[in-house]
Amino acid sequence: MKIAIVGAGLVGRVVALNLLRDGDHTITIFDKDSKEGIKSAGFTAAGMLAPFAELETAESVIFDLGKRSMELWKPLLKEAGVYDGLQIKGTIITAHPQDMPELEHFITSLKNKVDEADEIKLLNAKELSTLEPELGHHTQSFYLKDEGQVDSQRFIAFSTNYLDSMPNVIWREHTSVNKLEAHKVYLDEVNDEIFDWVFDTRGLGAKEHFSDLRGVRGEVIWVESKEIDITRPTRLLHPRYKIYIVPRGNGCEGIDLDYCKDCKIAQTPNSKRYIIGASEIESEDMSPISVRSTLELMSALFTVHPNFGEARIVNSETNCRPAFSDNLPRIENEKGLTRINGLYRHGYLLAPAIVEKALNEGIRR
Amino acid sequence: MTNSNKKWKIEGKEFDSRLMIGSALYPSPEIMKNSINASGSQIVTVALRRQSAGEQGGNPFWEIIKELGVTVLPNTAGCHTSKEAITTAMMAREVFQTDWIKLEVIGNQYNLQPDPFALVEATKVLIGEGFRVLPYMTDDLVLAQRLADIGCTTLMPWGSPIGSGRGLMNPYNLKVIRKQFPNLNLIVDAGIGKPSDAIEAMELGFDGVLLNSAVALAQEPVMMGEAFKYAVYAGRLSYEAGAMQKRDMASPSTPTVGTPFWHQFA
Repeated sequence: MKIAIVGAGLVGRVVALNLLRDGDHTITIFDKDSKEGIKSAGFTAAGMLAPFAELETAESVIFDLGKRSMELWKPLLKEAGVYDGLQIKGTIITAHPQDMPELEHFITSLKNKVDEADEIKLLNAKELSTLEPELGHHTQSFYLKDEGQVDSQRFIAFSTNYLDSMPNVIWREHTSVNKLEAHKVYLDEVNDEIFDWVFDTRGLGAKEHFSDLRGVRGEVIWVESKEIDITRPTRLLHPRYKIYIVPRGNGCEGIDLDYCKDCKIAQTPNSKRYIIGASEIESEDMSPISVRSTLELMSALFTVHPNFGEARIVNSETNCRPAFSDNLPRIENEKGLTRINGLYRHGYLLAPAIVEKALNEGIRR
Repeated sequence: MTNSNKKWKIEGKEFDSRLMIGSALYPSPEIMKNSINASGSQIVTVALRRQSAGEQGGNPFWEIIKELGVTVLPNTAGCHTSKEAITTAMMAREVFQTDWIKLEVIGNQYNLQPDPFALVEATKVLIGEGFRVLPYMTDDLVLAQRLADIGCTTLMPWGSPIGSGRGLMNPYNLKVIRKQFPNLNLIVDAGIGKPSDAIEAMELGFDGVLLNSAVALAQEPVMMGEAFKYAVYAGRLSYEAGAMQKRDMASPSTPTVGTPFWHQFA
């Protein structure tokens, strides 16, 4: 079939990878930005796969889709040639001793939503030390053993490389789409192009269709340090300054891809990279990170381990998560058109499962 | 005798519900909407500071609030100086087309305790600019006096620090303020954790309560919203009905009928 994918963010890429596996399609990708994809929310995201931890505020459907995604990521990454892109060896949830009610609130929320949460164990300092020696001074924590992360920047770089190398993929970068409907993509008011099936994966760009779609601003900071080695995604619970620390090991060191160079964040030799995030502000402001958010993220980071004091801030990113008013993802299918949107803060956790569902209910029928 | 079915008047407007509720921290805007509806609240606070319109103008979250059809009470949450709070209040007036402002000037970054000095300063300026200022304050009698002196007709002392859910930490102070200002609207703002805290505040004779985390962070926010609706109502009824006095039954004052005197006062 002749396919159009409008929007080359995380969801658009996952759709493309799935369709290439399905068979003999010719795929045209439209995207308003460059192929590097560094303006998409999928690049800004830290890529956590945390179906349990997200339940603190999310509904159980996010858990179910998340579990399914975690099965789908491995083959998907393999197909796109992404190596070292997936880590599933658990995440740590911790809090300062005076913030123990936060841990209590966290676990109660999880247990109220899914039975599987009953198995989650509280770790004492000694048990935590065996998993993460650098965090051993935290007296109480939870270990969510089935969680992990996708290296999101790596996924974006490698999927660009892979999709761009496929002969049956035409990638029209810097191409804005004015409007789309079943079988049709409009590049301006009047001129359309005809396809057998159109995918609308524009995220916030799809506001012309989804009137209740909104952006939720998020800011992250990348730091690099030679003095601290945390290996698992770690969340610090706090009444106000919640953060996550997502370790990226050697970051992009050693990756030789044209599409990776564009992010221009060269790794400090022998250091470990961490992504610290994320603010969550009801605003569609895409401007750079604020001083306040920087202070909040960095002071919370410093309290996790004082060695972060000598880490280097190498980058910050701001983006807006596309979300509906119930903060749940949405699929719309009709013959010749599939729209997928509203993955909110759960992009990497949901994308493979929600795309699978959308394809099964749409083009694959 | 008052009557709880009577409308409640605050800052020139009439309401049925004496519960004021915040719009932050809910799992989703949808749950926020349903919780507010369930709470019966007709006055909703919105923070402007962290939800700046940005360069595109407009803010979808604000649109959701406007669609609730309630009276919006913008607040200056997160402001640390009177100047900052004044600027935010001006912006709020434009965005929400209202002269109401919940004035919040934070003095301590950690527990978000209001700065009484900056609060009085900003209140003076804003009243001069034609605002109706509802100041979020500590439960200090002299501060209450100063704010009343410069023209506030509503005062909003805390029960305990914002988001702490510790209830009324110093009911005595609140009682003193109530006695001293019988004609002002008094709202307990911040610190309410459970519906029983709201009842306690209402039974002290406070005119209303303002809360956010207690509903937003409950396991079932919508259900908790409804619980607070009844709590505030029950508390008001209780205050108006006039509770009986507690009795001390520990040491009997009279012999118990039917018990021989040599078995009594053992």
